[in-house]
Amino acid sequence: MRRIIYLLLLIISPLLAFSDDATSALFKKGNAEYAKAQYKEAIASYQKLVDGGYRSVAVYFNLGNAYYKNDDIPSALLYYEKAHKLSPGDEDIRINIQLANLKTTDKLEATPEFFITKWWHGFILACSLGTLAVLSVLLILAGALLLILYRFTQSVTVKKVSFYSALALVFLGLVCIFVAGRQADYFDSHHEAIVFSGSVTIKSAPTLKSKDLFVLHDGTKVDILEHNNDWVKIRLSNGNEGWITATDIREI
Amino acid sequence: MKKIYCILLLLLLSTSVLFAADIHFTASASKTEVSTTEQFEVTFTVNNNGDRFTPPSFTGFLVVSGPNMSTSMEVINGNASSSMAISYVLIAVKEGTYTIGPATIFSGGKQLSTKPLKIKVVKGSPSQQNNAAAAAAAAQSQSTPDSRVTVKRPGTDINKSLFIRADVDKSNVYQGEQITLTYKLYTRVAIVGSEPEKLPDLNGFFSQDIKSPNQNPNWHVETYKGVKFNVADMKKNILFPQHAGNITIDPITMLFVIREAAKASDDDMFGQFFGTYNDVKYRIKSMPTVIHVKPLPPGKPDGFGGAVGKFSISTSLDKKELKANDPLNYSIKISGTGNLKLLKPLSPVFPADFEKYDPKTEDTIAEKESGETGTRIYNYLLIPRHEGNFNIDPVKFSYFNPATGKYVSLPTEGFKIKVNKGTLENNVTAFSGADKQDVKLLNKDIRYIKTSGDITKNGEGFYDSNLYYSLLAFGPLLFLGALIYGKWYEKNNSDIVEVKKRKAGRIAAKHLASAQAQLKANNSKAFYENVFRGLYGYLSDKLNIAAADLNRERIASELKARSLDEGLINELLDTLDLCDMARYAPVSGISEQQMFDKAKNMINDIEDKL
Repeated sequence: MRRIIYLLLLIISPLLAFSDDATSALFKKGNAEYAKAQYKEAIASYQKLVDGGYRSVAVYFNLGNAYYKNDDIPSALLYYEKAHKLSPGDEDIRINIQLANLKTTDKLEATPEFFITKWWHGFILACSLGTLAVLSVLLILAGALLLILYRFTQSVTVKKVSFYSALALVFLGLVCIFVAGRQADYFDSHHEAIVFSGSVTIKSAPTLKSKDLFVLHDGTKVDILEHNNDWVKIRLSNGNEGWITATDIREI
Repeated sequence: MKKIYCILLLLLLSTSVLFAADIHFTASASKTEVSTTEQFEVTFTVNNNGDRFTPPSFTGFLVVSGPNMSTSMEVINGNASSSMAISYVLIAVKEGTYTIGPATIFSGGKQLSTKPLKIKVVKGSPSQQNNAAAAAAAAQSQSTPDSRVTVKRPGTDINKSLFIRADVDKSNVYQGEQITLTYKLYTRVAIVGSEPEKLPDLNGFFSQDIKSPNQNPNWHVETYKGVKFNVADMKKNILFPQHAGNITIDPITMLFVIREAAKASDDDMFGQFFGTYNDVKYRIKSMPTVIHVKPLPPGKPDGFGGAVGKFSISTSLDKKELKANDPLNYSIKISGTGNLKLLKPLSPVFPADFEKYDPKTEDTIAEKESGETGTRIYNYLLIPRHEGNFNIDPVKFSYFNPATGKYVSLPTEGFKIKVNKGTLENNVTAFSGADKQDVKLLNKDIRYIKTSGDITKNGEGFYDSNLYYSLLAFGPLLFLGALIYGKWYEKNNSDIVEVKKRKAGRIAAKHLASAQAQLKANNSKAFYENVFRGLYGYLSDKLNIAAADLNRERIASELKARSLDEGLINELLDTLDLCDMARYAPVSGISEQQMFDKAKNMINDIEDKL
């Protein structure tokens, strides 16, 4: 029993702590620079982490903040959205995205989502994938232990309680696994991008000669539907679709 | 004019008595053979004063003018004589032979009459028919009383010496092709005054006046149909036909005042001497001119806006790189000859994100005899609102060249514009963010950075890792193991005899252990008690015999049945006896330690064997 607990601690600890000292130092350096309003330096520090392959809610969020303060709204939005993807339920990220969106040009009237879809998305995006994964492991493990207790205990009361709570825990664990699966699926199928060109004309087909449909400005978030050579088919939140050159957007 | 006649008549009447001589009253015609619609003059002359003149009936003729009276006076060798002439200008309407009847007059107290005149009328040329119709119309207009102006119908002779021609440089043109129209005045008579009566409407044309620099017409001599004329260009226009088909240029009508010598007999030296003249007004109308307008040939290129002529186009941009919200000027300059003023503004394609205004048109166009020449510039004001790289695509300007009969398309230069980030807010908010301002967020700022958090390498996420799956499986596997263990455990413990057998050694060991403790405490009675219990308990469990039934014989037979060797059984029985005895009385020959070892060996041996 004690061994199991040690094992769990071993698993969870890297999720809570920095992986190594150099990374941690870089992160702290970025934070210190941000605090001193040296946003450009902070961007460089955070960007080093991101370029080094680190993906973390905190790094993305802080980088977004630094870009925001540096008046680079599209970049800020890109990293906010990346952070949002890692931690969909984070309110700080949500609020900063809202504020950054106030500074973009395009105002898009989002097509209203069906309320069940909205609830569903809210549900599956409430916790981050990592949290869901840890939670599901713990729940399933606790459920299993309770079931073992149920099997070997002599007391009828303990048997009853342990059986039903074990069922509940296993069920919750399965729900966690399912939600994590849905969330991963959602992000897999749901590619988004931020427009980075100051002004870009959306075409009706992936050729330069095709008709102009509408004009987008930097900072606008679009859904990616399809890739075709150097062109990307996008959809706006108001439902309009069109083609944009891949260089004009950056995928979240 | 009439006054002059009256004065002269009075003078003549006062002297008539003096010079009363033989009086002749004759009728004469300028021509006795005329063609239809030809004008001719019939004059009745009396070589004295006369009154109560009764004209004959001019049946078969139309009176164009008349009676025109003229009197003359001549003094020959002191004898003064006067004569009087009454004339009519007639037009024959129909061919045939007509007789103009006698006219009567009273002169010298006698009634005089003329001989009838025979006029033969032959068929005239069609051109003269026009004149006839015009003359008839004029005659009708004359019948309306007009006290101020006497407008004389131009006679054939005046028509030949004073006329207006509408002269066009070409009469077979394409729609939109420019035509230069000149109204030329041809004259061989002295013109005292002129006034335009009716200017042409020029319907069907877009017309531009060519303003001549000097006010007075430029007279020059020109030979027209073999006759020399003084010619002046009265009015010049540039015309652009607006539609295909035959378009008629309306005639221009002008009133001219012509100075004519007064009608007198040729030998009336008095009149010639004094230069008696009449100022006569003539209404001169030009002949209508028909322009044949061809439609533009098919195959109009895209962007053809009706330009006809010969043009060139150029575009310019005042800057190629600027900041957002700064104005930008783009201009298209079209120069050449043709219907410049009728050009439709070109529609260049600007980036959709540019704010654009309607073009301002600047014209420097001169109307010359050669046509409308000059430049037209369209100035477009553009304001880019966002940064980025933009293109202004080339404009295609197409025109029709009537000289070659072909369409020409001229492309212009395209431009690349780099718009840098402009000064923020001030303008932009007013345009783009107007409806976003309802969100009041004056004192809000973004949430502060996260100073703690996990940092993981890309792909190091716990979810979807092998560790995750193995940990997930760990719980169920643990449970499964527990189940299997439970089952095995239960199975092992279900047979009590077996369990007892299995546990016998352990229970015996327990007793022996406590015996050893007693041994150390030198409590020999308790020691033997324990050893005895240990042995008995062990055998009871091992042989599955209830403690109550356990006795020497039973043990011996049971062990024998399990084919244990005789010696061991005897030794066991001896040991049991010894223990039993030692509980109550001290034993000799064997130490307690030996006893303990013996019992222990015994149990071990049996355990080995069974």
